[in-house]
Amino acid sequence: MDAFLSPEQLALRNGTRRHFFRDCGVGVGKIALASLLAGSAAKAGGATPGALNPLAPRRGHLRPRARNVIFLFMAGGPSQAELLDYKPELEKHHDQAPPEDMVKSLRLAFVQRNAKLLGPQFGFKKCGRSGAEISDALPHLREVADDIAIVRSMHTDHFNHAPAQIFVNTGSGLPGRPSMGSWVLYGLGSDADDLPGFVVLANDGTSGGAANFSSGFLPTLYSGVPFRSQGEPVLNILSPRGVDKKLQRESLDLVRKVNERRLGIVGDPAIASRISSYEMAFRMQTRAPELLELSKEKKETLEMYGAEPGKTSFANHCLLARRMVERGVRFVHIYLTGWDHHTQVKASLEGMCAKMDKPAAALVKDLKQRGMLDDTLVVWGGEFGRTPIIEANAGLGRSAGRDHHPKTYSMWLAGGGVRPGITLGRSDDLGFFPVEDAVHVHDLQATILHLLGIDHEQLTFAFQGRDYRLTDVHGKVVEKLLA
Amino acid sequence: MGGPKRFFSVMFDHSPTPCVRVRSSTAAWVVRLVVVCSIGCVGRPISAGGTVDFRTDVRPVLAKNCFTCHGADEGARQGGLRLDTPEGAVADLGGRQAIVPGKPEDSEVLRRIFAEDADELMPPVDSRLHLSEEEKKVIRAWIRQGAVYDKHWAFIPPRRPRVPEVKDSSWLRNPIDSFILDRLENEGLEPAPEADRYTLARRLYLDLIGLPPTPEEADSFVNDPHPGAYTRLVDRLFASPHHGERWARLWLDLARYADTNGYEKDRPRSIWAYRDWVIDALNKDLRFDQFTIEQIAGDMLPNPTLQQRIATGFHRNTMENEEGGTDVEQFRFEAVVDRVNTTGTVWLGMTVGCAQCHSHKYDPLSQKEYYELFAFLNNADEPKLQLPDPETTRWRQETQEEIVRLESELEGQWPLEAGADGAEKVPEALSERLRAWTSQRAELASDWTPLRPEALSTKKDVELVLLDDLSILAKGAHPNSNVYRVELESDLPRITALRLEVLPHESLPVGGPGRMNFTINDRLQVGDFFLSELKVFSLPRRDSAEPIAVRLEKPTHSFANKECSAEKTLDLKLDTGWCVGDRAGKPHHVIYQFAEPLEADARLAVELHQIYIHGMTLGRFRLSATSDPLPVVASGVPAEVEAALVVVEGERSEEERWRIRREFLLTAPELSEEHERIEKLHKEISRYETTLVLQERLPHRGRKTHLRHRGEYMKPREKVECGVPAMLHAFPEEAPRDRLALARWLVDTQNPLVARVVVNRQWQAFFGRGIVQTTEDFGTQSALPTHPRLLDWLAIEFMERGWSLKHIRRLIAASAVYQQRSVVTPELLERDPENLLLARGPRVRVSGEMVRDIVLVASGLLTWEIGGPSVYPPQPEGITEISYGTLNWKTNTGPGRFRRGLYTYAKRTNPYALFGTFDAPSGETCVVRRDRSNTPLQALTVLNDSALLEAARAMALHELRVGPTMVEARIDDIFRRFLTRPADREERAAIGTFYRRQLERFRGGELQAADLVATSPEDAPPGVDLDEWAAWTVVARAVMNFDETITKE
Repeated sequence: MDAFLSPEQLALRNGTRRHFFRDCGVGVGKIALASLLAGSAAKAGGATPGALNPLAPRRGHLRPRARNVIFLFMAGGPSQAELLDYKPELEKHHDQAPPEDMVKSLRLAFVQRNAKLLGPQFGFKKCGRSGAEISDALPHLREVADDIAIVRSMHTDHFNHAPAQIFVNTGSGLPGRPSMGSWVLYGLGSDADDLPGFVVLANDGTSGGAANFSSGFLPTLYSGVPFRSQGEPVLNILSPRGVDKKLQRESLDLVRKVNERRLGIVGDPAIASRISSYEMAFRMQTRAPELLELSKEKKETLEMYGAEPGKTSFANHCLLARRMVERGVRFVHIYLTGWDHHTQVKASLEGMCAKMDKPAAALVKDLKQRGMLDDTLVVWGGEFGRTPIIEANAGLGRSAGRDHHPKTYSMWLAGGGVRPGITLGRSDDLGFFPVEDAVHVHDLQATILHLLGIDHEQLTFAFQGRDYRLTDVHGKVVEKLLA
Repeated sequence: MGGPKRFFSVMFDHSPTPCVRVRSSTAAWVVRLVVVCSIGCVGRPISAGGTVDFRTDVRPVLAKNCFTCHGADEGARQGGLRLDTPEGAVADLGGRQAIVPGKPEDSEVLRRIFAEDADELMPPVDSRLHLSEEEKKVIRAWIRQGAVYDKHWAFIPPRRPRVPEVKDSSWLRNPIDSFILDRLENEGLEPAPEADRYTLARRLYLDLIGLPPTPEEADSFVNDPHPGAYTRLVDRLFASPHHGERWARLWLDLARYADTNGYEKDRPRSIWAYRDWVIDALNKDLRFDQFTIEQIAGDMLPNPTLQQRIATGFHRNTMENEEGGTDVEQFRFEAVVDRVNTTGTVWLGMTVGCAQCHSHKYDPLSQKEYYELFAFLNNADEPKLQLPDPETTRWRQETQEEIVRLESELEGQWPLEAGADGAEKVPEALSERLRAWTSQRAELASDWTPLRPEALSTKKDVELVLLDDLSILAKGAHPNSNVYRVELESDLPRITALRLEVLPHESLPVGGPGRMNFTINDRLQVGDFFLSELKVFSLPRRDSAEPIAVRLEKPTHSFANKECSAEKTLDLKLDTGWCVGDRAGKPHHVIYQFAEPLEADARLAVELHQIYIHGMTLGRFRLSATSDPLPVVASGVPAEVEAALVVVEGERSEEERWRIRREFLLTAPELSEEHERIEKLHKEISRYETTLVLQERLPHRGRKTHLRHRGEYMKPREKVECGVPAMLHAFPEEAPRDRLALARWLVDTQNPLVARVVVNRQWQAFFGRGIVQTTEDFGTQSALPTHPRLLDWLAIEFMERGWSLKHIRRLIAASAVYQQRSVVTPELLERDPENLLLARGPRVRVSGEMVRDIVLVASGLLTWEIGGPSVYPPQPEGITEISYGTLNWKTNTGPGRFRRGLYTYAKRTNPYALFGTFDAPSGETCVVRRDRSNTPLQALTVLNDSALLEAARAMALHELRVGPTMVEARIDDIFRRFLTRPADREERAAIGTFYRRQLERFRGGELQAADLVATSPEDAPPGVDLDEWAAWTVVARAVMNFDETITKE
């Protein structure tokens, strides 16, 4: 029960416990839920409803534009020059040596600084009313060009996968800090009381591992909960073989009866919390399988995403994300691994885009059709971009690839208060560095929080003698991205 | 930024009436004046004219609002003003003085904080900081009092306080109780009655050995009528070898122990010997000062024992990034940062990590001092230490003997050939082939002379060691790429060609010759290297002259992996070169002819460029030269065979002939089947277990430490030397400035922090909360101690009683305060919800590991063995998909399946799910205080986890076979195995009803017993009724889920 809470949180919890104890004689179940890990309310605009339940929905400091986030994380680092950042000059200088001053400060993972420039491998077209330039590799995304905002001037601090992924997710390149989803849950609570508030979906393992969705030093209940593709959808969500719903219920009734009796004798509110945890567990058991029944969706919807019930695919994950958001899940993080194209960037991208493009665009369309896009923020992007120079390494069997490039890369955002149909920022003609409206990862984080109604400088947690935040001591809200 | 630091604080005070106060962020003083706080004492009224306390009232306000720009961080300091020291506060700043003690009206600070003009106002408007009216008044009152800066309590060495007199001395068991009771009496509270014996037994077992008692063990204590029963039980548990296991787990949280390297690859490491060292040290009650010294610097003790070297694993638990394309030195830097921060947390209770990027905002620790501490820990190599054990030695020996035997039998295995007369003519056939082979090979052989290296250098950090045979072995750091430069002298009359041998060595992965330590694909294989380019320079005798590149040609190799060749080491392309793929563990060579021979007395420099990834650098190599006339080519035989081959036939010694014959037999295609057998043995040869240790570098290889601007690896600034923070006790003048002296300095009795920090963690382990709640931080931002004098008394007691941890734990376990009931009345809960005053016993949920251990003991499944490599208990399928790559989770089927949680294989990017759900750390950072959450996922785990169900099934089976026969008695037994105490009537009745209902459903076919307890009825043990087994299984499962099962009452 005694999570490490800041003094304010402790005080809140004290209040809660008193409140709870007065009421626990009447209807333990309901009120106990309220006291579940009492306290922990964010210092969010003095919002107090969280005082009764750390997962209770609450307002942030600002007027929120988005209620939920779906983050489509392209793990590995997709190549911006092939997808969202068209560089005719790069094409012109294909196979030439890069200018010395462009490469001298680069930290590169695999290639040497003298590698030649590699021209874009796909054509681009201006699309929509906005005239956004989008690659031939992304035909479906072109259809929603007017609904998204492209950022072509992202940059980050890390050039290896694990640190860079953890950096996007936690604001630090080293494991141990809370992830963005945890911060959001801590700040805003959850609208779902029968599903986790922060869900992780992945097609494959990620370089950052569990640190990508860990609650770090925030209380554990703000951790991301992985929905799995093998076995049970959520770890231990299914009763063991041979235990039917009735037996599960009767077992819970027995547990509850004994726990309530114990509560009466010992008087520790932690027991009431335990009781309510079991009730929520039971509700989750009932609710999660229903959530996963994609076959209940209309045929057109399934086709729009390219989803096939029963399979593990990015398409299914996107559709699932919409269903989760409908059910009040605050933060859905979908990982699509496979963008680390050190070799044959063209063919590799074709393969990945075939999996990604249609579902991602469908998600935007579907949310829009249902009127959900206004308060759902969709973010697409990886941990870094890829070099304008070629990666070719006979010894490693690599050719026509691109190395990691943290200095410039592209992302897109949609919905949730993001200004649609804009392209923000510009990189230099060859695509080495941002030259206009540079957006650092901490700025992106600040902006995501801002859209959710959270001031990134105010959402803090006291740990080891100081107040920590997602954006460390950096980050500026990117005003130009706001609708 | 900065919210209020101490909303709710317990005052640190040596005054006779300690009290608790509440403050709010916005109207602190108003609240303080009127609120009767939850513990029931009235806040000491601070009104205009009253006195304020610097430490509790003033400093937090200054720290929050002023120190960011006017604190210790010189980089961030504005206007040259420093408010965190008295000298800074009164410094003359051009005719103005921030603070004039005793004269608020003359103090610039006051003028600025009360300023009407937004340009004048402090804190500045855009800082988002704001002083309340009450806070301003406090600052004014403090300046009027004289603006005295009291030193933070924790930085003043503790003195043994007088044990307080209490009214009711009959309750006291030892001095701890006097401090607690003194406070309770002042609060008008009484301690709770002593807990019943069942509760005490379970509490003691869980706290002292981390396992619950069996009903029999509990009974023997409960029914012990003799005085001293409690003490005897305490003694017995302290003597148990499981005591070390229980307390090691807590220490391993601090040590950030794990069985993998972390980051993307997160590959396995072997460091369990360190974990076992901790268990053993705690069982032996190794003095804490020695415990410290051995872990920080065991390698530097005079003639360190194997155990003392293993102990240095403490700081080898840092992570290692093996992702391709990393800058290895950067992650070594990060690891040292972790070591500095962890050392600060564990031994000083200081958040020293704050000073990595800038001087500490709150505590007196400058950024320079941070890097001075860093320098102590920056000078070690990080080798693997072999752990010879007799069993493995025997196996190795036997295998080697077997190889020798097989080799000696090769000749006898030569295939039979029929001679012309039909008789078998083995000897003739063999000797004919041998002769032919020998003369053929002798053609290719040249007369090589190994060259003595005169100077060795490398582009990136690695240690090159010259061995007796003039080969060079790489040790220590393992960067992804490197350039080795070797300078050589030759007294040959001339040099026509150069040979590079790459050689196996037992210290290298699968024997080398390369240092690549895992296999990714057929281009990137364990034990391999990748030589991109080789360059030779002729060094003129005169220093002033430039080296001249020697033109190399016609390179040949003994063997090369596909797409690789000797030629590619001269093609000026760094991504092509020479490597040997899966032919590890054997010698190979390349030969370079000199386009123009070098004449006598040559001095050479050879550069080996290894520009690749994944650390495919050379592990052991040797350079030789020849004067033989060209052409000179790769002979394809090992050097010692080649040396024998160049001897004229007939002049070869017996030994030389034997070498040639052996090589022939080992390579002749006629014997390939036998070779495979020998090869297999080579691969199987058992290796010693290893562990990770620190090894201090010799002075000539000493590393320099630089301050890093903003803490960034890429921004080194001025060089710093080893040193300790000025605000702490002095570093002994005569001591060398090295890691060992640092270790001794940490456990110096003059250290104001270490003993307090350590006893506080012991307290936390028993009571669920420290006397200082922020166990990891004793700095100025820490929570104030609830019982400051008790903390100091325990700290002194700890040091004076030989730094004995067991002594402190025993005192706590023996105290009356620890033996109280944990029942809480609504009134007491209202008054002291956090149990700060300890008017009742502790009641806390147990750790994740204990959840599992309790279930294993209760079900009788636990394997009691102590120590050894980590194990793989069952976990749900698909659990590993979230981390990178495949996790080879080889679920144990034998006893390893049921070992204590402590021994479960700890993968950092994918921790064992059950433990993580119950707040166990991942081992990525030092954790002093685990969260104790209460979540639905925990409920789902205990309800549905297959490993826990397996235990319920085993328990039910046990009941049916050897348990009591009556239903009620069985219920009692199951209940007691989990909860220790007997069930009461109602509980028994409820469980009984549940049992009968479920049995009926199984019998009636509504539920299928086989589904739950066995895959098919035939799997059931003979004589066991499946339905009963299933019904008891669900009973055991339900009891396992009682809150009390996973709670220490």
